[in-house]
Amino acid sequence: MNPEEIKRIVSDRFPDKLKDARIIGFEPSFIADKSILLEFCRFLKETKELSFDLLSCMSGADYPDRFEMIYIFFSFTHKHKMSFKVHLSKENPEIDSLTFLFPGANWYEREIAELYGIKFKNHPDPRPLLLPEGWDEGYPLRKDWTGKDFIKMPDLK
Amino acid sequence: MNQEISEIYTEEFFVNMGPQHPSTHGVLRLLLKMDGEVVLDMVPHIGYLHRSLEKIAENRTYLQYIPYTDRIDYSCSMFCNQGFVMTVEKLANVPVPERAEYIRVIMVELNRIASHLIWLGTFSLDLGAITPFLYCFREREKVLDLFEMTCGQRLTYNYMRIGGVSRDITPEFIPMAKEFVKYFIPRVDEYEDILTNNPIFLSRTKGVGILDQKTAIDNGVTGPSLRGTGLKWDLRKNEPYSIYDKFNFDIPTGKASDVWDRYMVRIKEMRESAKIVQQALEKIPEGPIKTKTAAVFKPPEGEIYLRIEAPRGEMGFYMVSDGSPKPYRVKIRTGSFSNLTVLPIISRGWKIADLVAIFGSLDVVLPEVDR
Repeated sequence: MNPEEIKRIVSDRFPDKLKDARIIGFEPSFIADKSILLEFCRFLKETKELSFDLLSCMSGADYPDRFEMIYIFFSFTHKHKMSFKVHLSKENPEIDSLTFLFPGANWYEREIAELYGIKFKNHPDPRPLLLPEGWDEGYPLRKDWTGKDFIKMPDLK
Repeated sequence: MNQEISEIYTEEFFVNMGPQHPSTHGVLRLLLKMDGEVVLDMVPHIGYLHRSLEKIAENRTYLQYIPYTDRIDYSCSMFCNQGFVMTVEKLANVPVPERAEYIRVIMVELNRIASHLIWLGTFSLDLGAITPFLYCFREREKVLDLFEMTCGQRLTYNYMRIGGVSRDITPEFIPMAKEFVKYFIPRVDEYEDILTNNPIFLSRTKGVGILDQKTAIDNGVTGPSLRGTGLKWDLRKNEPYSIYDKFNFDIPTGKASDVWDRYMVRIKEMRESAKIVQQALEKIPEGPIKTKTAAVFKPPEGEIYLRIEAPRGEMGFYMVSDGSPKPYRVKIRTGSFSNLTVLPIISRGWKIADLVAIFGSLDVVLPEVDR
């Protein structure tokens, strides 16, 4: 299915909850409202014409005014792809876990929770994943993070 | 006497396998819940090799980051190079000369052979066969000689650049590479003679560690382990990037999705890679090897996700550029990270010796998991 058709099906189902975004290579891309995340992902997975079965990648990002979650989807059944982002507030970054829909999300979410400090509701196994045991120096991938040994490289013009 | 027997009891116990276990190829700790010799459950602990490559990326320019990509996965550095530079090129619309594309394909396919050879050698070593290990490293040495001749490095190549490659291949490279391919294809038969129908090898691998297709896709397993379940999916063929559409090659798949099938897929892949290298060496055109880019390279603002077919599955780069000389965010998606998540599922109920075979068959490289 081509990107326009996917976009039409998805926007018909969730009329005011989606905005356009652009992730090159994985069109169509959207910015989805946080409140519809689970419903949206279930729709992507279980609708016959879409059947997105592979959660290819999941990432977080830190911007001055918000956190972002990025989800990259692919369908082996129909060989089409899409991506979407969810904006989270700086004060209370919290989002639903996708693990029970896509078991592959488990480790991605643990990694993001640990490195960005984003909370995942109903995650089955919320232990830290990568950092050393007893790490108490904050969330390293946040832009304002400074550790003991962290030296910022000079900016180039 | 009877009283003594009634005092004997069995109980489940926990065993730490790793972090320094010879079969974990890197530093991985598996906390195993055992009943005698049978694995009941396990928890993989990773992160021992975490070097925060994603944080480092935000603090380096695009060019400075290329040597770091070598360290994502040391056994297939060329792929990490290629994935990163292709992402930047696509984001900034930098054209790549045709000769450079050919050189890249030759290099990555040779690297795929080298990487599968490491896997085959260590995998058979884990199963107790020492000879294939020596054979594999004998051939891998020849690949490394070719790399050393081109870029001076044997492991961390730092060879590709945004818009091309760092230096041209030497005049001796093409005859030597052709000779290697001619020499290498019969060597694969040699490995197969030792392993494929060997009764000991078969009893260790046939029907062991079955990974069904649904579990694989749900958990994001890609690469040879996914093809072992019978799904004919290879990004080189299905979403041709670079110049892969110009070559003639097959995608090997398995049927039973057990350890033996994953082994067979990789064996066949080595032959296919050799075929690609052979064709590329015949067709390689003359011309420039690099597009000139600005000294301080600044891609336009934007976001991109690009994936390539690395020896361990899909390697993807999610990159955000804010128009400055440094990337705003780089997320590295690697095959091993997702492939490792199925290990607890497929090794439940098998003996600890089979766990070594199952883990080996997934071809997990730990630096790639931890990044």
